[in-house]
Amino acid sequence: MASNKKYWKSVEELNENSSIVEKLRQNEFAEDLPTDQFLGDKETLEASSTTRRDFLKYVGFTTAAASLAACEGPVVKSIPYVIKPNEVTPGVADYYATSIANGYDFANILVKVREGRPIKIEPNKLAETTGTTNARVQASVLSLYDNNRLQNPRVKGKPVNWSTFEKGLASKLSELKANGETIVFLTGTTASPTTNKLIQDYKATYDNVQHITYDAVSESGALDAFQAMYGERALPDYDFSKADVIVSIGADFLADWQGGGFEVGYAKGRVPNHGKMSRHVQFESNMSLTGANADKRFMVKPSEQAQVLLNIYNAVTGNGAAKKTSVDAGIQKVVKQLKAAGSNAVVVTGLQDKNAQLVALAINKAIQSKVVDTASPRYVRSSSDAKVLKLVADMKAGKVGALLAVDTNPVYSIAGFTEAMKKVKLSVAFAMTEDETASASQYIAATPHYLESWGDVNIKKGQFGLIQPTIKPLFNTRQFQDVLLNLMGSKQSYYDYVKGYWNSTILRGKSWNKALHDGLTIRATAPVVSASESGIDDLLSNKINSVSAASALAASIKGSKLELSLYTKVSMGDGQMANNPWLQELPDPITRTTWDNYLLISRVDAEANDIKNWTVSDGALNGDKVNVTVNGVTVENVPVFIQPGQAPGSVGLALGYGRVKGLNSNMNVGVNAYPLYQNFNTNQAVSIKKVEGVHEFACVQLHHTIMGREEEITKETTLAEFVSKPKSEWNTPPHVSQDHSLVGIEDITLWEKFDDTLGTKFNLSIDLATCTGCAACVISCHAENNVAVVGKEEIRLSRDMHWLRIDRYYTSEMSVEKGKEEGIYGSAGFFDAQEQPSDNPEVAFQPVMCQHCDHAPCETVCPVAATSHGRQGQNHMAYNRCIGTRYCANNCPYKVRRFNWFKYFDNNEFDFNMNNDLGRMVLNPDVVVRSRGVMEKCSMCIQMTQATILKAKKEGRPVKDGEFETACTNACSTGALVFGDVNDPESKIAALKEDDRKFRLLEFVGTKPNVFYQLDVRNTNEA
Amino acid sequence: MKSVNQHSKPLKLFLSSLIFILLFTIQLFAQEGNAENGKKIFNANCASCHKLDKKFIGPALKGITEKRTKEWLFSWIKDSQALIASGDKDAKAIFDEYKIPMASYPNLSDQDLADILAYTDDKPIENKEGGSTTGVPEGVDINQVKTGKKIFNANCAACHKLDAKLIGPALAGIADKRSAEWLKSWIKDNAALRASGDKDAIAIFDEYNGSAMMAFPQLKDADIEALIAYTSHASVLDAKSKDTGAEVSNVAEVESVPWATYLVLLVVALFAIWVYFMSGNQFLKFLTTIAILIGTGYFLYAWLMGIGVDQGYKPIQPIAFSHKIHAGDNKIDCQYCHSNAKHSKLSGIPSVNVCMNCHKSIAEYTGPVTEEKDKAFYDGEIQKIYDAIGWDKEKLAYIEGYKQKPIEWVRIHSLPDFAYYNHSQHVTVAGLECQTCHGPVEEMDEVEQFAPLTMGWCIECHKKTDLKIKENGYYAKIHEELSEKYGVEKVTVAQMGGRECGKCHY
Repeated sequence: MASNKKYWKSVEELNENSSIVEKLRQNEFAEDLPTDQFLGDKETLEASSTTRRDFLKYVGFTTAAASLAACEGPVVKSIPYVIKPNEVTPGVADYYATSIANGYDFANILVKVREGRPIKIEPNKLAETTGTTNARVQASVLSLYDNNRLQNPRVKGKPVNWSTFEKGLASKLSELKANGETIVFLTGTTASPTTNKLIQDYKATYDNVQHITYDAVSESGALDAFQAMYGERALPDYDFSKADVIVSIGADFLADWQGGGFEVGYAKGRVPNHGKMSRHVQFESNMSLTGANADKRFMVKPSEQAQVLLNIYNAVTGNGAAKKTSVDAGIQKVVKQLKAAGSNAVVVTGLQDKNAQLVALAINKAIQSKVVDTASPRYVRSSSDAKVLKLVADMKAGKVGALLAVDTNPVYSIAGFTEAMKKVKLSVAFAMTEDETASASQYIAATPHYLESWGDVNIKKGQFGLIQPTIKPLFNTRQFQDVLLNLMGSKQSYYDYVKGYWNSTILRGKSWNKALHDGLTIRATAPVVSASESGIDDLLSNKINSVSAASALAASIKGSKLELSLYTKVSMGDGQMANNPWLQELPDPITRTTWDNYLLISRVDAEANDIKNWTVSDGALNGDKVNVTVNGVTVENVPVFIQPGQAPGSVGLALGYGRVKGLNSNMNVGVNAYPLYQNFNTNQAVSIKKVEGVHEFACVQLHHTIMGREEEITKETTLAEFVSKPKSEWNTPPHVSQDHSLVGIEDITLWEKFDDTLGTKFNLSIDLATCTGCAACVISCHAENNVAVVGKEEIRLSRDMHWLRIDRYYTSEMSVEKGKEEGIYGSAGFFDAQEQPSDNPEVAFQPVMCQHCDHAPCETVCPVAATSHGRQGQNHMAYNRCIGTRYCANNCPYKVRRFNWFKYFDNNEFDFNMNNDLGRMVLNPDVVVRSRGVMEKCSMCIQMTQATILKAKKEGRPVKDGEFETACTNACSTGALVFGDVNDPESKIAALKEDDRKFRLLEFVGTKPNVFYQLDVRNTNEA
Repeated sequence: MKSVNQHSKPLKLFLSSLIFILLFTIQLFAQEGNAENGKKIFNANCASCHKLDKKFIGPALKGITEKRTKEWLFSWIKDSQALIASGDKDAKAIFDEYKIPMASYPNLSDQDLADILAYTDDKPIENKEGGSTTGVPEGVDINQVKTGKKIFNANCAACHKLDAKLIGPALAGIADKRSAEWLKSWIKDNAALRASGDKDAIAIFDEYNGSAMMAFPQLKDADIEALIAYTSHASVLDAKSKDTGAEVSNVAEVESVPWATYLVLLVVALFAIWVYFMSGNQFLKFLTTIAILIGTGYFLYAWLMGIGVDQGYKPIQPIAFSHKIHAGDNKIDCQYCHSNAKHSKLSGIPSVNVCMNCHKSIAEYTGPVTEEKDKAFYDGEIQKIYDAIGWDKEKLAYIEGYKQKPIEWVRIHSLPDFAYYNHSQHVTVAGLECQTCHGPVEEMDEVEQFAPLTMGWCIECHKKTDLKIKENGYYAKIHEELSEKYGVEKVTVAQMGGRECGKCHY
């Protein structure tokens, strides 16, 4: 089946006459060297006073001068510690367990520290589901070394010292107190028992103190619903590994829905086990990461999503009748499957509405879903829309005396907050950079990064994590809690406070040091329901509640011609890390576009509005722009991206872009969509109007197009075929003809074989069934291997440096069987049906890095033998030997080699983290920073494998299975990437190599890669 | 070539030594052996396996000419394998004893060999045991004083000095204050002495705020007498070592002679001028042109290949720290200070607190001195450590609130960023001696880069060195498979992938 499907990356590829695509397939480098730029202008050349002879003289002189200068080596200083700390051994990494809790991402993590510098974030595997890292968490270490960080506290724009700052603040606050004014603490979700306790303590000393939590991207509807039903302001936890049927209505639960972190359980159900795997149906408008992974995806406008939810609710509970929708046939099948699966099913929704969330909870309750865990809920969101809106209204009315905004940026994310702040008598911002809110505040308290702070976090009920500093504060910063303690006149440091609170309340006799070492402690307490709302758990009242919620939801449905659905990207999230170049350059998993947000639109709507996307000659994408208007608020000049799979009648726009303050000017990209996020509703009625101008996208979807082999590139099958048919039918190994007979590709070779069964041989397995495309591995690879950020302009020129890319392929649902059924197989119409991209395409993700071929085409063409093969299966790249002919890249069928067109460090043209001393502190000292003019590529993290081997040698023992890791396998939370020694017959990787689902990329080329894939299985079982 | 703050210009040195060799091969009166030159050749060729005074990889070579004839040694060094093959009994016996064949050195001329032997014969100046008693007061047994010094250094020096108060009182001339009998009982068990009610003992205890001295019941009366002799007559030894120091320094003063270089260049130039302008011999002109071209090419190539190779680099360090005094004379283990070497990729320069482990109690230099480097000089260098960390050597305490100043050493061994080298791999896993790459550091007053640290040098060793596949459990499976499949019992580092690019370049 697989080979009959057509895969494409960009709509441009479906145009058979596209010369651009042809060129990209043939050429590794899309553009010729721009010699015209300096040779083409004949007039200038002739007018130049430099003659040819002079030119040659200059060349000769500079060459001689340069070579003479090269004879003198620099004098290098070596400065040891005066007193070396016991735990530091220069050259050996220390790991500390800590947690990230920045109001948007919450996770228990490990931090790799070299010579006192945190350089990498890794998951804390002790913490299981709360210990996973997404792309943002991985990248957060770079924000520590942000050049734009505040280095001192400031009062009215002037740097002061802390005692002046605190004295001034204290006197101002007591003044306000004397007048009986309200003091408001506006924090993000802290999920920190200690911080919340501390603010309560403060309330005890000052009356009239409010603590309001504010999530820039709110989950208030779900929180309200859960609170109404279960009496606690929290979010239910979901264990998707228990689910046979997953129905998601607009919930992007593999990305950031309700705080994310659900992919671990989800992936467990996606590998066929005894012929069973979960069935995932998605109803959504934007093509989300979750929708891309679904077995069946329905395109449904946001307003219709509520109706879909109601229809499912009605069908499951038997209340009320269904209203007609565009996907009734699908709903009927889904309901049948839901009923069949019973308690092994789950329904989730991303609709930001209390009633919708209540209905979803009610469905799960009605089917007694085992997937939902309401007993140990999660505390990663806490914002109440009503309270935040009331605060803004109060501020505008002059009812707020002081606003202390702690690590949150409401001026950027709430429209009209600037005006409201002007009415506040005292405004204080606790911030790491002089962001929009800080620059509008009178007092700015410079706060440390979380890797420099103490704290704690309670991500999930009964699971408490600690935050500990991993580096001495880089600047003169003080964390909010310490300032608060000082304001209260306490002599305690926040560290003492945390320790005291933990010992008395959380640890209760357990070891503090062990908790600190592990990073977390488990205290499974009985579920506590607050007394005042205990009656709500009663079944009857619940039924009444949900029924009324259903009717309220039905009443609130109001469709419009064009509906906007705001979303967040896996890279940028809510926008607080906008100054992080790793995240800016991370291609979006779906659109494969970097450095931008844009309005997603369906082909139908684009044509209706005369909006076009077109590919220019070097493979870069250009597009039209529009003005987007919601309720009279217009965001201007929004680029438009035509997205296959976008529900007609809907558009999408990512939040978190368009930041202007507290970041490098080159990070000021995209448009700010928060003004459209009115009343914290992600779904809005919208109108668009085309405007003049062309937007240049930095889209990588056509980069590294693998030459003319789209049909063979990735493989997938259906569960039914996988179970019932032999492997040869759905995973046909390639054959070649030799002596008029077909032989396996393994049996044919041009090269002499050497014995590779001796010692270690590394293989990497990538499971396409469990890879969700989340891109955490890409950032992990960046951090581990000092991969350079090149910027938007260079990305447009196909010069991205990612060693690991996640190819996203679209494919059509039209298959041979279906074609035969419909009688169009073999006709032109069959191909049309396959290729109509606005038909809801299926999506396949495929991470591609250097395949470390045993018969590597790159090695044979290198004139200087800079790339060569190692006994352990790795394809080595000696940068210092490379002379930059780029032959290897041209000869690589996988297009995984990256060329250093420029010097990307210490170069003002590339003003990213490698251009300043602070940003360079994140570099991994075990990996060299490549210079200009050399080729680079994935090394299979040879520095990590060598370190593992050395450790075993020092201890005089063989390496155990599971010890070998690469940056990407370490970061992968679903376990899709498995790395190990294939010569160890007991290892996991050796078993995977023999798996029926195994295939190699372009296996028929005969390169014998050491990276292999497990094909994707879709559960198309609709019965 | 790094030239900032360096002692000599390596290029000049290179040329002059080249000319030296040239001159020496021409010299027909040779064979007399120049020890100075011999030392150079020894360090370049022999020192990685041989030491003068003790067995290393090969045997100790001091006085080797007393055991073997010159002729035998010459043929052994030039090609030991051939000698063994020829059936020489001595040669075979040595091979059986050490199991490892010695490398052949056909490139060494007879003059070089004579020089080496001159060096190995050149007996280092030693104290003649009890030979002369000039300057020794009567009734003082110099041997007893020496024994006393040994015992003092082993047992007392951590808390006592002769001439200054340390943790305990200064001990010079203690015999004038206390009787030998009292001292004996005090040293053996001072607590018992105090318990017995001895007034002096209690007074001392009180003076030092009740910090009790250790008991040394293991010291015999004779030992304590020797100690007393040392505390009373230590100056006898000082006088002797000063003499020795002066002698040593005289030997070290011999300098190489640069004028020889210029002389040879002048001769070559004059010859060339004569050929081109005075002589009418066309053939000679042709030959000279060829010779000059080849010669220029040869030296240019050698010079170009030497760019970035800092062998012999010997910068002036912020502290005149002598490895000879620490690792050589005092036999401090390399890894006592460079303790990272067994754990990390970096061997680590010791932090100042490591220096203080010993220098808390060693504030003064007591070894041999020269005119240039007298006691005050050395004491001044020790003071630099105290300045860095903030130690008050009078009060014997760290200065509170002192702003510590890290010591800025000049890095000598520095690999480029693109080459990854891990000390622990070589020290812990391979069990290499530090000297294999760093040379006889224990003999260096100032450390210089011993090895070229070029890639060819690395690879050469990887090709020659066998892995410890039998000893290290990591290789257990590999060894089993190797011997099973190929009957191989040993492999070199290079054969197991130690020559692959990616193992060091990433």
